Amino acid sequence: MSTAAPSLHSIRPCLEGAIPAIMATCDPDGTPNVAYISQVVYVDAVHVALSFQFFNKTRQNIVRNPRASVLVLDPVTAHFYRLHLLYERTEDSGPVFESMRAQLAGIASHAGMAEVFELKGADIYAVERIESVAGEGLPAPAPRSGLLHTLRLCSESIARCSGLDELLQCALQGLQDKLGIQHAMVLMLDASAQQLYTVASCGYATSGVGSEIRLGQGVIGMAARERTPVRISHMTHAALYSHAIRESMDAHATPDAPPLRGLDIPYPGLPEPHSQVAVPLLSAGRLLGVLFAESPEDMRFGFEDEDLLVGIAGQLAAAIDLLQAAPDTPEPLPTPIAAPPVSGSALRVRHFAANDSVFINDDYLIKGVAGAIVWKLLRDHQHTGRVDFTNRELRLDPALRLPDVADNLEARLLLLQRRLQENCPHIHIEKTGRGRFRLCVLRPVVLEEA
Amino acid sequence: MTALLGPSHIAMVAKGVSAIVASRDAALRPSIMRAVGSHISGDGQEVTVYLRRSQSEQLLQDIAHTGEIAVVFSVPSTHQTLQLKAHRATQRPAHDGDLPVLQAYLQSMVQEVGQVGYGPQYVGAMLAAPLQDVVAVTFTPTSAFDQTPGPRAGAQLCTPPTPPVPLP
Repeated sequence: MSTAAPSLHSIRPCLEGAIPAIMATCDPDGTPNVAYISQVVYVDAVHVALSFQFFNKTRQNIVRNPRASVLVLDPVTAHFYRLHLLYERTEDSGPVFESMRAQLAGIASHAGMAEVFELKGADIYAVERIESVAGEGLPAPAPRSGLLHTLRLCSESIARCSGLDELLQCALQGLQDKLGIQHAMVLMLDASAQQLYTVASCGYATSGVGSEIRLGQGVIGMAARERTPVRISHMTHAALYSHAIRESMDAHATPDAPPLRGLDIPYPGLPEPHSQVAVPLLSAGRLLGVLFAESPEDMRFGFEDEDLLVGIAGQLAAAIDLLQAAPDTPEPLPTPIAAPPVSGSALRVRHFAANDSVFINDDYLIKGVAGAIVWKLLRDHQHTGRVDFTNRELRLDPALRLPDVADNLEARLLLLQRRLQENCPHIHIEKTGRGRFRLCVLRPVVLEEA
Repeated sequence: MTALLGPSHIAMVAKGVSAIVASRDAALRPSIMRAVGSHISGDGQEVTVYLRRSQSEQLLQDIAHTGEIAVVFSVPSTHQTLQLKAHRATQRPAHDGDLPVLQAYLQSMVQEVGQVGYGPQYVGAMLAAPLQDVVAVTFTPTSAFDQTPGPRAGAQLCTPPTPPVPLP
């Protein structure tokens, strides 16, 4: 068995944390020490990260004598591997640290030891040699087949999409149909607010479109802040990463915000997720948002699921970026059409300038840039009767305060469209072409600036 | 003779729980392997761990050359963990008389590891130990540490008696 040395990649199933690894170190006085370690994490082909949680004997030894030997066990074949490691450095922030911290919180919660599992650092080790240990073991399972084909199918359907709405629906549908992932969402970054907002979801009782998560908050916020996938296999009570999300998310509410109903749109997540994976959406080096999936089952997402989601997220991000960057209204506006007939009792629409929040009949609709947009549309509509608008004019309107680059206007319009669909069917927005849309108001509207 | 291990620690090891053995070479490079069995005398003075030679060549060589040995015992379901160390250990091939010890250990481990979700077949593969490949390593612990995970992990249980200092 010990002929060809296995690669770190080939033993990734051993690095999933299913079975604790054991580490031997040696004091400079010659006394060996052996201890369990919570995590051995794949960093790259020649490095692993080990969790540093306590200032214990292992720690003292490794700082003074950087050689370590770690025994890992394949959770399926019961085959042992020995990693011969050389300590390089400790990281106490950054992607590796944060994704390990999240995973550790999940492991701790699973082990009922949340309070003692705090990650002080990610110790980075060079892997000098991997030994396959002799032994009978159990037969290896057949490799999961068709993962590349699944990726291809998802990729093909993403590549066919020509609009943002269609693209997001298609990506989520792909996760459901082709990967069996039942609960997922896409969140977009609002860079100026340092928040992510949900633009599409599947599998939840309520869509949660518009719900917000701060950068750094929970699995999703951490994946965005650190631009790294974060995957947790056991997490029902990993408080930092799940339940905290349910707290008020309106970190930016102004003190004079309306004393009406809260501005929170409920986050749609599962009440007791057991597995979660959040993958940043990156395009040309910029963070656009997060693709997130979760499950009520433990260990639902393995490293191969993560690999697959990262593959899909790459293409999804590039497609989002392209669709949003498409030139606005290359052709002239269509001939204005008559506004649809208006009937019924009047809708009272109130706008609070402090945070651009908009309420319809006392029910919160939306705030921020999307709030400013709907307010502008309704005012223009009321003053001039117009119904057709272009993305370009929104971009040029200083009152909307859209950022110069990466304004995510398409995503904000989609968010607005969805919020109206779900909360106020008497006002809706229809796409009428690339960079064009139409406002349809089916009931009389009374506008109030609060 | 001062007892290094109390009855509860002796009982924990005697039950047959996870046992991992480590040593080091002359260059202070650590070596490591899981034991396929263990035994502790009733007074806790003599501990034997069983290793497969084919899985532990470096480790057995290091123990033979340096005498250094560290063994961590752990209950998978409770994380209760104990480490024993010694500076001298003896080795001998396992023989038929060791079979009952190995079998009892395997049965206990099937039960212990079963509690954390791994079936008998898995534990059997993990601890497979053809007798002709097994080496018994025996030592008298000279230090012991509570290593149950947490901030107090590493606390020494008690210091062995120091030899009397000869008067000048």
